[in-house]
Amino acid sequence: MRHVIIGNSIAAIKAVEAIRSVDRKAPITIIADEHGPAYSRCLLPDYLAGTRSEADLSIRSRDFYRQMGVELVLGRAVTKVVPADREVELAGGLRYGYDRLLIATGSSTFMPPIPGLGGNGVFGLRSLGDAKAIQSALPGARRAVVVGAGLVGLEAAYALYRRGLEVTVVEKMPQILPQQFDRRAAHILRQDMETEGIRFILGCGIQEVAGPSLWSRVMGKAGQGVFLEGGERLKAELVVVATGAVPNVGLVQDTGIKVNRGIVVDRFMQTSIPGIYAAGDVAETRDAVTGLYGLSPIWPNAAAQGRIAGLNMAGVQREYSSMVGMQNAVEFREVPAIAVGIVNTPGDDYEVFADYRPDKNYYRKLVMKNDVLVGMILVGDIRSAGVLSGLIKKKANVRTFKHLLRRPDFGYGHLLVKLA
Amino acid sequence: MQRIMLHLDRCNGCLTCTLACAAAHSKSGHIIGAMMEGVQSRIHIQSVKGKAVPVLCRHCEEPACVDACMAGAMQKNPVTGIVTNDGNEQSCVGCWMCIMACPYGVIVQSKDGTVAVKCDGCKDREIPACVEACHTRALEYMDVDEFAAVKRQETAYQLAKPAV
Ligand SMILES: Cc1cc2nc3c(=O)[nH]c(=O)nc-3n(C[C@H](O)[C@H](O)[C@H](O)COP(=O)(O)OP(=O)(O)OC[C@H]3O[C@@H](n4cnc5c(N)ncnc54)[C@H](O)[C@@H]3O)c2cc1C
Repeated sequence: MRHVIIGNSIAAIKAVEAIRSVDRKAPITIIADEHGPAYSRCLLPDYLAGTRSEADLSIRSRDFYRQMGVELVLGRAVTKVVPADREVELAGGLRYGYDRLLIATGSSTFMPPIPGLGGNGVFGLRSLGDAKAIQSALPGARRAVVVGAGLVGLEAAYALYRRGLEVTVVEKMPQILPQQFDRRAAHILRQDMETEGIRFILGCGIQEVAGPSLWSRVMGKAGQGVFLEGGERLKAELVVVATGAVPNVGLVQDTGIKVNRGIVVDRFMQTSIPGIYAAGDVAETRDAVTGLYGLSPIWPNAAAQGRIAGLNMAGVQREYSSMVGMQNAVEFREVPAIAVGIVNTPGDDYEVFADYRPDKNYYRKLVMKNDVLVGMILVGDIRSAGVLSGLIKKKANVRTFKHLLRRPDFGYGHLLVKLA
Repeated sequence: MQRIMLHLDRCNGCLTCTLACAAAHSKSGHIIGAMMEGVQSRIHIQSVKGKAVPVLCRHCEEPACVDACMAGAMQKNPVTGIVTNDGNEQSCVGCWMCIMACPYGVIVQSKDGTVAVKCDGCKDREIPACVEACHTRALEYMDVDEFAAVKRQETAYQLAKPAV
């Protein structure tokens, strides 16, 4: 059984470990377009801020690939999958044959159609290469504009701030973290960052990124920056675009593999073509809370999906139990915050408990539907996050202990006694 | 491989296990020193309607905290089965993803808010400090298979258990 894995990040690594946990011998080849060993994208903001070295971004030990007996093909992109021949093709035409294939190609920065985005001084933050490019643009840069106040945007903003830049975050929606948190939690987190000196312009999009020539033509003096929709102009030597990510599905185009936004997989992480699996940011799975198919582009889910894909590739039938697609933990300055599941209620058939104390940087919100916990936000005190998110994932009926969930110290002990 | 089994009915809430845990994880190695150093216990006693309830790590077979760890710091040792973010090649960054992921809520922030702190199974001791200190035998060190057999009967454990 010959395994080929496209990608060399967390989903791929977990698949390798899973395959090796049941099969010491089968050949495994990893093909990835990045050059180095697997690293954590999530730590790139720390690298950018200068608080973590490149070596400390690795997620496995140096001799991981040797120990696992993995053949590595790095710095090479797969351009297409050829299911009819059970082969993948690299740029240049070289082909690799497989019996089982895992597509774990992740996602790329989405560049919105804004004029000037392709110019100098404009970056995404997705790969080590991106982070290095931003770093080499730091000398001489005094001001930065970050487009998009999602998780990556805010992390980038904080990293650049720690580098001593004056940072402005511009967000189209009226709040920061619009996909993860509600308005109140966003308010607390924004204030925490504003106290530090990071500036926010909310409810406003970018019209154009102006390079030096356009800037001097319009403004009559040297500089560069962005023009906002409202007409305001922000001078900035550095622009980071963080308005989302798109799954890397180009290599399966016209193969017959079913793709929505990502590659659709079944309960065994298998695509619509037998023998071909997908996992991580590139895959579409069923969400534990909503029951709907969709992307779940977060680290823990990529890890779990990679593991399940690997087991199935190695012949051990294991179902993916569905994870919560939306679950995030953040701490930009000093207020920890966690959001899981449905936090902005789409209708009135939800029961909401909220304890909001912005002066104390404290917020606890629980969202229930038919006595099942479907979402939560914890700001300031995150002690019960794990037990609550476990209940969300399990769709547990909480009717008999609902009142206990409100306590900041609600924990597994309460469950143990209640259910004994 | 061995695990710590909790016999809830035997616990009288004396907190000796928490002191022993802190001592075992202190530089000085004793309780007074642990208090001066401000060392946290990794086993937690919750008070539920006046009843003391120890909450401790299960060192799960497929730990949600390991999947969630974006630094690669949280690992399950394939030989001992111990799950820890301490003493591995990669270091904890304090992102709190493991706190969000652990359905037993046994991982906490360090006092200075920089790293996640959890039970490391007292990997350098023969018997974990908390078990050794427990006078009422509420904590018992037992073989992992026996442990699993008992746990299968426990409603709360099954409810919380990571599903993937
Ligand atoms: C700045 C930043 C911060 C983040 N913070 C968090 C966080 O706090 N919490 C969280 O849960 N998630 C976070 N994420 C998201 C998290 O990093 C991803 O969910 C995770 O990395 C997905 O892993 P993956 O294995 O699916 O793919 P990726 O990590 O995207 O890796 C894809 C791999 O595929 C390779 N590849 C792609 N296309 C090809 C091709 N055609 N041929 C060959 N190789 C190819 C790449 O080289 C790479 O090795 C963050 C992401 C970023 C960028």
